[in-house]
Amino acid sequence: MFNRFVIANPELCLGCYMCMVTCAQVHEEQGLQPFPRLFVVSTSVATMPIQCRHCEEPFCKEVCPVKAIEIKDQSVQLNEEICIGCAKCAFACPFGAIEIEKRIVDKGKEVKYKKVAVKCDLCYFRENGPACVEICPTGALKEIKNDEIEKLIELKRVTIKESKSKRRKKLETLNKTKRIANIKNVVKLFKKFK
Amino acid sequence: MSISNKKKVPSICPYCGVGCGIYLVVSENKIIKIEGDKSHPINGGKLCPKGYYGYEFIYDSARLTYPLIKKGNEFVPVSWTEALTYIAEKLKEIKQKFGPDAIALYSSSKIANEDNYLVQKFARAVIGTNNVDNCARLCHAPSTVGLMMTVGAGASTNSFLELSKYSDVIFIIGSNLTKCHPIIGYHVIKAKTRGAKLIVADPRLTEIAKKADIWLKVPPGYNIPLINSIIHVIIKENLIKKDFVNKYTTGFEDLAKIVEKYTPEYVESLTGIQRESIIKAAYIYGKAEAGAILYSMGITHFTHGTAAVIALVNLALITGNIGRAGTGIFPLRGHNNVQGNCDMGCLPNVLPGYLSINVKENRERFEKKWKVKLPATPGLKITEVLSAILKGQIKAWYIIGANPVMSFPNCDQVRDTLNKLDLLIVQDIFLTETARLADVVLPAACWAERDGTFTNTERRVQLIRKAIDPPGEAKPDWWILAKLAQKMGYEGMNYTHPQEIWDEVRNLLPEKFGGITYTRLEKEKGIIWPCPTEDHPGTPIFYQNGKFLTSSGKAKIYPVEFDVNLSLQETGIKKQNGKEIIIGSISEFPTKEYPFILTTGRRTYHFHTGTLTRKTHAFNRIWPWELVEINPEDAEKLGIEDRDFVKVFNKRGYMIARAWVTDRIPPGVIFTSFHYWESCCNELTNDLCDPLSGTPEYKITTVNIEKISAKEVKKFLEIKKEKYKTELEKITITKLISMIKKKRK
Repeated sequence: MFNRFVIANPELCLGCYMCMVTCAQVHEEQGLQPFPRLFVVSTSVATMPIQCRHCEEPFCKEVCPVKAIEIKDQSVQLNEEICIGCAKCAFACPFGAIEIEKRIVDKGKEVKYKKVAVKCDLCYFRENGPACVEICPTGALKEIKNDEIEKLIELKRVTIKESKSKRRKKLETLNKTKRIANIKNVVKLFKKFK
Repeated sequence: MSISNKKKVPSICPYCGVGCGIYLVVSENKIIKIEGDKSHPINGGKLCPKGYYGYEFIYDSARLTYPLIKKGNEFVPVSWTEALTYIAEKLKEIKQKFGPDAIALYSSSKIANEDNYLVQKFARAVIGTNNVDNCARLCHAPSTVGLMMTVGAGASTNSFLELSKYSDVIFIIGSNLTKCHPIIGYHVIKAKTRGAKLIVADPRLTEIAKKADIWLKVPPGYNIPLINSIIHVIIKENLIKKDFVNKYTTGFEDLAKIVEKYTPEYVESLTGIQRESIIKAAYIYGKAEAGAILYSMGITHFTHGTAAVIALVNLALITGNIGRAGTGIFPLRGHNNVQGNCDMGCLPNVLPGYLSINVKENRERFEKKWKVKLPATPGLKITEVLSAILKGQIKAWYIIGANPVMSFPNCDQVRDTLNKLDLLIVQDIFLTETARLADVVLPAACWAERDGTFTNTERRVQLIRKAIDPPGEAKPDWWILAKLAQKMGYEGMNYTHPQEIWDEVRNLLPEKFGGITYTRLEKEKGIIWPCPTEDHPGTPIFYQNGKFLTSSGKAKIYPVEFDVNLSLQETGIKKQNGKEIIIGSISEFPTKEYPFILTTGRRTYHFHTGTLTRKTHAFNRIWPWELVEINPEDAEKLGIEDRDFVKVFNKRGYMIARAWVTDRIPPGVIFTSFHYWESCCNELTNDLCDPLSGTPEYKITTVNIEKISAKEVKKFLEIKKEKYKTELEKITITKLISMIKKKRK
């Protein structure tokens, strides 16, 4: 079976950062590193959170010198306890989904920091699945799991097959009406805005 | 912790004007969590980060717990009796010496309706001045003025629940609503998935602009030509609703004449917006069955703010997009209760319910109940108070829940001016940057520690409830004002609960609030005013069947003109050939010295001057510093890379922040917010004001930007620390904490 992963629909994403804050919060409550594991990215193309794709053959796992990253429970998991913060995984990741953060080691008089890698763990400790999916106000985030990918791919093929002939007809009539309307508009425009 | 001792207190989110329903989950007199109210019509259980996590400030150690009086350079904690007696005597003295108009009040949009009603009652009945205003002056005053001039009431015309159900075209202009009002963004996205068309006008490629069918890339300040051009195309293409215009409006002919010259070609040459997009947008909006207009600070934060609002109203009127479900004009309010604040009359020219102070009958209505003679001349707007202080007219300023030292434009000047006051009273929940300059600081209770009502953007009055006790000796704002009025010798302000205050409002303004009782609010999820009787369901849709609230009963169309060559004195309402015309302009243009336009706004994760959100570690952890958005083209020229330290400066001041190189912003423009005292953009912003509404031009400031080193940043940070007196807060808070500890022993 494929690995599970969470993906966002940029059409629905508001860029409200709800997922990011929640991610840090739930991990902190769990005693894990209190940092977000997904990153809202705003570009001129789209805005959406980027997070681990839970690759089948993850580069991050390959490069980790202490074997802190392993495939477990249909996901790629990073053990923060044994991570040495060498940042190799972050460099290897093709999606920029791994962040190197400072963790507080000694809470005594002098606060010391050590580097640690954090990445999406699909909230393995939560019964209801990833917190980001649950909290998103527009439902832009979705967890893809089990045979859902296969179904999705299958569905796409079917809809394409079905709609091909329909689409062609639609396109023909649409083009006709569009062209006629266009001519009308152009004539009108030239008259009025000269 | 067992489940049995947990309780859920229904309340309303204290951040933006959307008014989302929340539950405060309380255990052992402590809020442990906030949950969205799943049965609430507005948010249906959904919340943005601020609503969900932004409550941590309640338990911050820096909360004010005792009244403070400044002695020398330090604050000394005192008892309530001492603080109130001190203030009452000082105010009496100033009133006697310089007259009541030497005192001004600044009301807050974060506090409840009941408090706001008391603020203006205190100003008018106890002090005897109309110098009372609120922070709407810095944001939506142009909406209040513009909408009152044209359709008769300064409020949103419809409920935004209609957006996702009925609207088929939504025109968003000057609003980054997915960031600043995420739950309205959610309603708009819902409408879009249903098939509604989306037109967005914004200089920046915001999230909502990306999702739009048409994005009109309007440069900062050129809203009026764009709107006029859309009106031009609509008139030329005969898309106007003639019946509606003839029956319910006046002044259409003058408008048609003025917009004659705003052809798409002309506006393209003026603004660079493609003529095709303007024509397409005009077609889409003109043909809408139910077209809604959403706007916020991108329209109002100019010296032509009111003119732009009126231009938008014109657009809605000529297409008949008003008075029906899914249509209307929505000024998206920034604060939870800025609507209620204006409704309650915390404005220098109107009494509660927008009743003009100039009219004798209006004054008599209140004089009878308050048993005092009311002053008839309109008072000073908050943006006028500063120059009045410099002239020596104002001697005392009572600021409630506001932080002008960071939120006013050109704020270095504000700091100097405040120091010239004889008496500065600040009432707040934290020792804000402004409070540090005060003579007396009064500790207030926050929204979860008291009862009251909030009114959201769509005029929905909703109940907030006390869930926990305030810290130390902090008290609700209404309690403080009532006690102070008693100390001043006024007998008409003895209340024991906000409900009594609300009932007084209902009695005085039955036509608007008569039917909105606490008992009804307990059961219903908010009631939208006007609601005259207890069996009235409320009025989500204003002006149904063309009944406008203007004196003639018809909506007034004003022609709006725009000319960049005019000076500020030449703009505003002018008479041309015996007809009233509104003229707008811009006051600053890029020069060689300052080639960039700085435009300001808000971010999702912090709120205004950061007083509340910067006390929340969930936000601070992820966004500890400010970013200045700059186009890659400009950045390359200046050698600035993403996340480099930059200094933005002009003749008024400078700010330091990190750069965010992004092509979402056009070349020549930079964008930043005012959430951080370390990098407060208001040290640079322009303090020239709209002649009609008194709102400053925050959205256009000419600046220059340069890269600086980390070493320089350290040096500047020290200067800022000194300026904002961060040390004073630390010392005072340590004092307060040790006092609380002593009391407990």
